[in-house]
Amino acid sequence: MAGIYVHVPFCKSKCTYCDFASYPSEAGKAELYFACLYKEMKARANQYKNHKFDTLYIGGGTPSFVDEKYIVGVVKQAKEKFNLAPDAEITIEMNPGTVTEKKLDAYRNAGINRFSVGLQSADDKMLLKLNRIHTLSDYLETATMLKGENFNADALIGLFDQTTDDLKKTLDVISESGATHVSMYALKAEDGTPIYTNYLNGELPDDDTVAELYAFGVDYLASLGFNRYEVSNFAKPGYRSKHNENYWKRGEYIGLGVAASSHMENRRFNNIPYIDDYVKCIISGYFAEENSEVIEGDEIKNEFIMLALRTEDGIDRKEYKKLFGTDFATEFANELSKNAAVTDVSRSRVKIRPEYLFVQNSIIVDFLK
Amino acid sequence: MAKKVKENIRNFCIIAHIDHGKSTLADRIIELTGQVAERDMEEQLLDSMDLERERGITIKLTPVRMSYKAKDGKDYIFNLIDTPGHVDFTYEVSRSLAACEGAILIIDASQGIEAQTLANTYLALDNNLEILPVINKIDLASARPDEVAKEIEDVIGLDGSTAPRISAKEGINIEEVLEQIVTHIPAPSGDDEAPLKALIFDSYYDNYKGVICFVRIMDGTVKAGSRIKTFTSNKVFDVVEVGTFDPHLRPKATLCSGEVGYIAASIKTIQDTTVGDTITDADNPAAEALPGYKKVHPVVFSGVFPLDGSKFNDLKDALLKLKLNDASLTFEPDNSIALGFGFRCGFLGLLHMEIIQQRIEREFDLDIITTAPSVSYKVYKTDKTMMVVNNPSHLPDPSDIDYMEEPIVKASIYSPPDYLGPIMDLCQEKRGVFLDMTYLDANRVRLLYKLPLNEIIYDFFDGLKSRTRGYASFDYELDGYEKSDLVKLDMMLNGDVCDALSIIVHREKAYARGRALGEKLKDVIPRQMFEIPIQACIGGKVIARETVKALRKDVLAKCYGGDITRKKKLLEKQKEGKKKMRKLGTVEVPSEAFTSILKIDS
Repeated sequence: MAGIYVHVPFCKSKCTYCDFASYPSEAGKAELYFACLYKEMKARANQYKNHKFDTLYIGGGTPSFVDEKYIVGVVKQAKEKFNLAPDAEITIEMNPGTVTEKKLDAYRNAGINRFSVGLQSADDKMLLKLNRIHTLSDYLETATMLKGENFNADALIGLFDQTTDDLKKTLDVISESGATHVSMYALKAEDGTPIYTNYLNGELPDDDTVAELYAFGVDYLASLGFNRYEVSNFAKPGYRSKHNENYWKRGEYIGLGVAASSHMENRRFNNIPYIDDYVKCIISGYFAEENSEVIEGDEIKNEFIMLALRTEDGIDRKEYKKLFGTDFATEFANELSKNAAVTDVSRSRVKIRPEYLFVQNSIIVDFLK
Repeated sequence: MAKKVKENIRNFCIIAHIDHGKSTLADRIIELTGQVAERDMEEQLLDSMDLERERGITIKLTPVRMSYKAKDGKDYIFNLIDTPGHVDFTYEVSRSLAACEGAILIIDASQGIEAQTLANTYLALDNNLEILPVINKIDLASARPDEVAKEIEDVIGLDGSTAPRISAKEGINIEEVLEQIVTHIPAPSGDDEAPLKALIFDSYYDNYKGVICFVRIMDGTVKAGSRIKTFTSNKVFDVVEVGTFDPHLRPKATLCSGEVGYIAASIKTIQDTTVGDTITDADNPAAEALPGYKKVHPVVFSGVFPLDGSKFNDLKDALLKLKLNDASLTFEPDNSIALGFGFRCGFLGLLHMEIIQQRIEREFDLDIITTAPSVSYKVYKTDKTMMVVNNPSHLPDPSDIDYMEEPIVKASIYSPPDYLGPIMDLCQEKRGVFLDMTYLDANRVRLLYKLPLNEIIYDFFDGLKSRTRGYASFDYELDGYEKSDLVKLDMMLNGDVCDALSIIVHREKAYARGRALGEKLKDVIPRQMFEIPIQACIGGKVIARETVKALRKDVLAKCYGGDITRKKKLLEKQKEGKKKMRKLGTVEVPSEAFTSILKIDS
C-alpha cells in the first residue's frame, strides 16, 4: 500500500488559522506551478517506477479554486506516469463556493472518486470570523451536487465561544447533507497566524472546553452512524479514507508540489515550502526536497507505535511481531502496566481506551524509545 | 632562626561589600602592572567560572602575581588574592586573609559602609592584617567621598583622610592605590633556611596534574623534586612542579618564604590535601603545623539527588571534587522514598547552596533534584535524649518529642532611615526580635535583630531588597539555639506523603505555608490522566487542600499531508520533559516542585 499526495498551494484568501503552504496572492503562478508539478511527477514516477500506488490525494490550499484543467492534468499524469491501481481511491479537497457542476464533471471524468469539503462550521458568523470564503448555503449547494457520492466534510472544534449546540448543528448539517466521512479536529492556534492573537487574548476556549466539545462530538457522530477510526476521523461503515489510513500504518507515500511530505524507502523528506524556490529547483532539473531523514532502528518502531496508537484499532500485535520480531505486550510490559488504566490489551491488539484517545500524547510518549 | 623580611613582596587581598567594585579594581591593578596583555584583558579577569561572570559576583578566591615598579624606583612583586563578597562566602575570604599581610578595603563612595564591609573588616583585623581603605566610584553623581571618609573613621576607626579616592571603572587614581600598597602594607617575612611550612589556602583537581595546591610559603623553600608531606595525612609526595599565578599557572624553579604560588605533586586522592593543612618537607619536617583554619559549620541543608538514579556515583564524585576547593561543603548519604539515593548536603547559606547546585549541573553535567532547604534543629525527646535533625523526614514521632530548639541568628541590617518601617514589618513577619538601633550618620542606620535562621533562609534577603529598593544590606552571625513551637508540615500527593516535600515550620506559620505550598504545587505539577489531590497535613490532620484536575486534551490534531516528522519531534520533546519528572507513586512530579517552598511568599 502506497499513496501519492499532490499539493495545490493556491487559495482565494487565507483563513485566520491557516498554517499551511497556501499563497492567495500568487494565483497567477498556477500555469508555471502545474508545469513544474507535472515535471516533478514524471521524475518521481521514474525514480519509484517499481512501486505500486493505491491512492491519490489532491490537497491544499484549495485545489478546487484553480482551473479544473490543472486538476485533470494531475490525475492524468498520475495515472500515466505512476503505477497507480485502476481502482485507486482518488480524493480532492474542495471549498464550498469554488465548486461548480462543470468542475465536478471534469473531476469525475478524470477519475476522482472521493471528495473532501471544508465546511468547518455551519455558523455563518463563525465562518466570517475565520475568514472562510463561503457560507452555509454554499456548502449545502456543493453537498447537493455530491449527493450519493463518497465525500468527507470537515468540522472544527475549539472555535470562539463554540458550544455543544453549535457543534451539534454543524454535525447535523454534515450528516443530513449525505457525507460518508467526517473529519472533526481541534483548532490549533499556531504562532504566526492571525488567530494566534485571539489565542493570546484568551478568546479561544480552554482545553477543558475543547475536550468536552470533542467528547460530545464523538458520541454524537456515533449516534449519526459515523464511527471514529482515528482521533480526528469518523466514517460510515466501509468509507474510511484509505489514503489517510496509509499514514497511520506507516505506509509509503510520495509528496509532490510545494511543502509536500514524503515517506519512501525508509526515508522521510519534504519539498521546499515556497513556490518560487520550488519552481526554480524543478526547472533546473533538481528535486525540491529538503530535510531528508533516513528512518532506522528504534525510530521505525517509534513511528509505528505513535501512528498506530492514534487509531481506534491500535497496534496489531501480529503485525508488530512480523515487523520487529517481538511481541509488543511482552516488550512493553512495564509501560503497559503503568498505563493499565488507559489502555486495552487483547490477544490481537493493544490500544488506547477510546475515552483516552484525546489525551493520547502523554500515553504514547511512554512507549517511545 | 633568622626571619628575613622580603622587602620586595606584598601579599594582599581586596575585601568589600558585594558590588562595591572588587573585581573591577583587581582588573585595573592587573592592567596597570602590565600583567596581562591588553588584548587578553577581559572584565572580571579573575572570575573564571561562567557562573561568576554571568552573575557578576566572585565565588572563589583567585590569586594573581604581578610586578610593579614603584615611585621609589624599586621593583615589587604583588600577590593579589581576589575574594568573594557575599555573606555566604565569608569562609572563602578568611582563607585568603591567612595568606596575606594586608587588605585593601573598598568602600562605595555613594553607598558607604555596608554589612559586609564591616564583617570583612573584622575578619581582616582578626587575622592581624593591615587595612588600606579605598573609596571607589567617585565618578558617580551620587558619590559623597567626604562623608564616606568620615564614616570610615567613625564606624571602622581607620584614618579615612588618606584613603585613595578612585574610580576603578574609569581608571581614576589607581596609581595611588599601588603606591599605598607598597607604603602601607607590610612585607612578609620568613626564613628560607628553616624547614618548609606552606599553608594550603585552596586547591582544585586538574585531570592531568592531579591536585593543585594553592599555598603561601611561610618558611623554607620548595621546588620540583622536593619530597613533601602534609601534617594530617603523612603520605609523602614528590613535587612535580611549582609556580605562580599569572593568573594561569606559570611554572617557576623555586618558591621561597613569603611567596604565594602553587604546588603540584601528582596527588591523586582528593582527601590527601585539605585546605588549611600545612605542607612540610618529608625529610626535614617542621616541628609544628600552622594554625590552619577555623572549621566552618554549614547552616543550610538540602537533599541533592540525581535525576537519573543510576548517576549516584557520578554525583558522589562531583561532590568530592567540589569539596576539594570548597571545604565548607558537607555531605552525607541520604535516601528518600520519593527520590531514591542521594546526599544530604550542608551549605553556608542559600546563595552557596544555589551556586553548588549550579556547579554540579554545569561542571559535571549532572541533572539533579534538590529539596527545600532546612536548618539544623535540636530535638529533645521524652526519653531525655537529644538529637540534631536537619532533614524533616528524620524528625521523630511527635509523641516522642518533648520540645525542640531552632537556630537563631543575630542580624545586622544597614539601611537609609527612610526604610525603617518596612524593615521592621519584615522582621516582625519573620518572627524577629528587635535588639538595637544605631545611627551611623544621618543617612545610615544599623538595626540589630534576633531572627530564627529558618525564616531567613527562604526569602528574607529578597524581601529586604525589594522593600528597601535595594538600599539595605544584611549580615548575620549564628547566635545559639532557642526553644520554639515547631511542627512538621507534610505534603500528600494523591493520598501519599511525599517525604521530599516535608518541611519543619513554626506552628503559627504552618497553615499559611501549607496553603501556599499547595497552591504552588498545583501550578507546577502538570495535569495527568487522573485528578490529583494535594493535601498539606500536620500530624495526619489535613490543613489545606488543592486539586490538579485531570488532563483532558493532549493530542496532535490532524496529520496534514502526512507530515509525520513534525509530530514526532513534538512527541520527542514531550518525552524529554516527562523524563525530567519524578514518579511518586502514580504521580509525575517535575523537579522544580521540590523547591517550590522557595518561591512562595509567606
